[in-house]
Amino acid sequence: MAIRELKVCLLGDTGVGKSSIVCRFVQDHFDHNISPTIGASFLTKTVPCGNELHKFLIWDTAGQERFHSLAPMYYRGSAAAVIVYDITKLDSFQTLKKWVKELKEHGPEDIVVAIAGNKNDLGDIREVPMKEAKEFAESIAAIFIETSARNAVNIEELFQKISKQIPPLENPEVESNESFKLTRQPAPSARRCC
Amino acid sequence: MAAEDLPSEFDVVILGTGLAESVVAAACSRVGQRVLHLDRRSYYASNWASFTFNGLLTWIQQLQEESQPKEVPDWSSQLEEGEELIYLSSSDSSASICNLQVFCYTSEEDEEEQAPDTTEEETVRAADEDAVQEVSEAESAETREEEERRGADKGQAAQTAGEEPEAESHPHAAPSQSEPAKKKLSYAQLVKEGRRFNIDLVSKLMYSRGSLVDLLIKSNVSRYAEFKNVTRILTYRHGNVEQVPCSRADVFASRQLSVVEKRKLMRFLTSCVEETEEQTAYNGRPYLDFLCDQQLGENLQHFVLHSIAMVTADTPTEEGLASTRQFLRCLGRYGNTPFLFPVYGLGEIPQCFCRMCAVFGGIYCLRHSVHCLLVDKHTNRCKAVIDSRGQRISCSHFVAEASYVGAERKKVATPTRFLSRAVLITDSSVLASDSEQQVSVVTVPPIAAGCPAVKMVELCPSTMTCIPGTYLVHLTCQSIGSAYQDLSPLVTRMFRTVESHDKAETRPAVLWCLYFNMADGSGTEVEGHDLPSNVYVCSGPDGSLGHEHTIKQAEFIFHKILPDEEFCPPAPNPEDIIYDGETTAATGDTQEEEQSPQKQEEEETKEEEETKEEEETKEETKEEEHLQTEE
Ligand SMILES: Nc1nc2c(ncn2[C@@H]2O[C@H](COP(=O)(O)OP(=O)(O)OP(=O)(O)O)[C@@H](O)[C@H]2O)c(=O)[nH]1
Ligand SMILES: [Mg+2]
Repeated sequence: MAIRELKVCLLGDTGVGKSSIVCRFVQDHFDHNISPTIGASFLTKTVPCGNELHKFLIWDTAGQERFHSLAPMYYRGSAAAVIVYDITKLDSFQTLKKWVKELKEHGPEDIVVAIAGNKNDLGDIREVPMKEAKEFAESIAAIFIETSARNAVNIEELFQKISKQIPPLENPEVESNESFKLTRQPAPSARRCC
Repeated sequence: MAAEDLPSEFDVVILGTGLAESVVAAACSRVGQRVLHLDRRSYYASNWASFTFNGLLTWIQQLQEESQPKEVPDWSSQLEEGEELIYLSSSDSSASICNLQVFCYTSEEDEEEQAPDTTEEETVRAADEDAVQEVSEAESAETREEEERRGADKGQAAQTAGEEPEAESHPHAAPSQSEPAKKKLSYAQLVKEGRRFNIDLVSKLMYSRGSLVDLLIKSNVSRYAEFKNVTRILTYRHGNVEQVPCSRADVFASRQLSVVEKRKLMRFLTSCVEETEEQTAYNGRPYLDFLCDQQLGENLQHFVLHSIAMVTADTPTEEGLASTRQFLRCLGRYGNTPFLFPVYGLGEIPQCFCRMCAVFGGIYCLRHSVHCLLVDKHTNRCKAVIDSRGQRISCSHFVAEASYVGAERKKVATPTRFLSRAVLITDSSVLASDSEQQVSVVTVPPIAAGCPAVKMVELCPSTMTCIPGTYLVHLTCQSIGSAYQDLSPLVTRMFRTVESHDKAETRPAVLWCLYFNMADGSGTEVEGHDLPSNVYVCSGPDGSLGHEHTIKQAEFIFHKILPDEEFCPPAPNPEDIIYDGETTAATGDTQEEEQSPQKQEEEETKEEEETKEEEETKEETKEEEHLQTEE
């Protein structure tokens, strides 16, 4: 089966549970006192999708968003963005709208956007009604789902929904002669031979 | 996005997000230093930045509007016992950029929507008043005539492409450029699609075995970016653009060279690899003399001097040979030329290092600066800084890009040297070929005595720096006059603008262009300024094609700060930190290899390289045979 690498970037207020979502998805693990794994610039997980394998390269912000200083390279080539808010914090839902705007301005044009209302295990102190968030998501044609990284609710589903929205590769040939990563080995040498 | 307060204690505070500063930041953070990295601008990479088309227009506007230096508050109340204040450069204006001139040679709106006589809109759109005067009204009237002729031009351009030897040898050469329907893009379309441009302020290439590529690989920062090969080396000679054969395959495939020339060139290039007594005898004498005595003939001499060594006629032989060797050493690592270019532009590279810094805990603030340094009078060391919000932040080391340091404290080579730059959006390649997706470097020797040698890089849309149907062309040279004075004569000759008159039909049309001068960073030293001993100055971009100076400077500063630490050791791979299912199934492609543990990887590399070399030698013999039969 063909493996397809898909870059997914995470956005959202500090403390909404971005790292917890990744951690739950990749390691099926939740830590109440999560301290970001320093040095992990992205985590990967591969899931089947139709007759392809989707290898998610999940980029966490590394704190660069904290002072409004996210670099445009963070969005580059992203197939999808997950914007996370905390259903118990109205503020975090307000900033979500700013992230949507930011993505529209700086992100790739065809990026799949998913909105995740996290911490839905804390329904009793909810500040953001599900209906309002869902309607907002629909208005920008984004995926919407409420999640709980703590209780492992809808985390897999979030990424499945993203997988389904990724358009199939049009022309795999063209893709392969595109750009390359620098590694310790020589890259596939240019096709032109004599 | 709620902004928090900054911590008040760091090990290293770094001001400016250019390449050198960003490498220092990544290197320090990687080995555990607490790094605060600031930039007073709203974007990353300082003078190394790249912009969308609209972003570039804003950048231009801001530079032109730049007001007087802002009044800096008096922070002396923050002084403690035994300290003194050093104010940094207060003006937001980067004195490092000047002589901006913008010209638009395409119609304002889409042609269909356009009324027949819109002479005004078609005249030059100039962002500054001087520029308007540069192009007289009379000339602009001709724009329209040219516009009208354009439909016919296209057919002709395709014809010329057919005559071009390279294209001829490929039966499938059917460039879509020949489609008669192709319309010139309007200014409105450039703006509408503006975000798909990534226009670099600096034009450089990465030598495939240069220090930047080595550092990217060694540190694993390379995982944040993708690259493309530069596919062609071109040169401009006798009014024509020609392809320079540089790899062995190119030499043998070349139709410009005679068989004798092919042999001579191969023999010469092989003989260059090692230093001989014959060569050292020419030390101090011009490389051109050496080349003349090699009996290469005019053709080859031009190729070697201008396009391979990329030096001038009076460059000393030892320097010319060193450049020739560097070029040859870099051939074949990734592609047929020695050069790589990052997808989305060079502005990505500093950002990649910044991300590495952030991933290891570095803190980032744009639109945030340092107003002054608090210096211990006795030790002459900077103990703390006061940021643009008046917060006192202590630090053990301070690094700043040169433009943040006031001229009165800086020791720079006088007079300040500048680079002349031009950025063009054109509608076709300077040399049509069977592929529209060529990344080319064009070396242009001085067009007249006293004129500068120009380096030109032409980027195609697949580098993600310009939109389909356009090319992004960067010109760079050492300044003699203003950028416009230095470069516009060449632009007029090689491209079609309002100023081009005769026989311009087959040349690429310029849709939009920008000229500016940028301070040449090669004149600034790290130390020796009138500054505390733990303060280091990073220079901005220099005029060379590669990045050697900047990377060397960053490493030097890092070792000044941390003499005993390793510079940018590899960051762990994600897979080494987190278990990742069964993805490493044996697909055997390079991406998978990249993630295998390093040691194993290095061994594999060695093996691979050996087999590759073997293959190359085999190929060589085959070609040699081929050559003989040709004779
Ligand atoms: N109850 C509950 N708590 C959660 C959930 N997800 C995350 N948390 C907690 O929320 C806090 C913040 O989570 P993080 O994953 O660090 O949040 P983040 O978005 O990565 O934050 P930054 O890295 O600072 O931007 C932690 O204490 C988590 O334990 C959830 O689904 N339910
Ligand atoms: Mg986090």
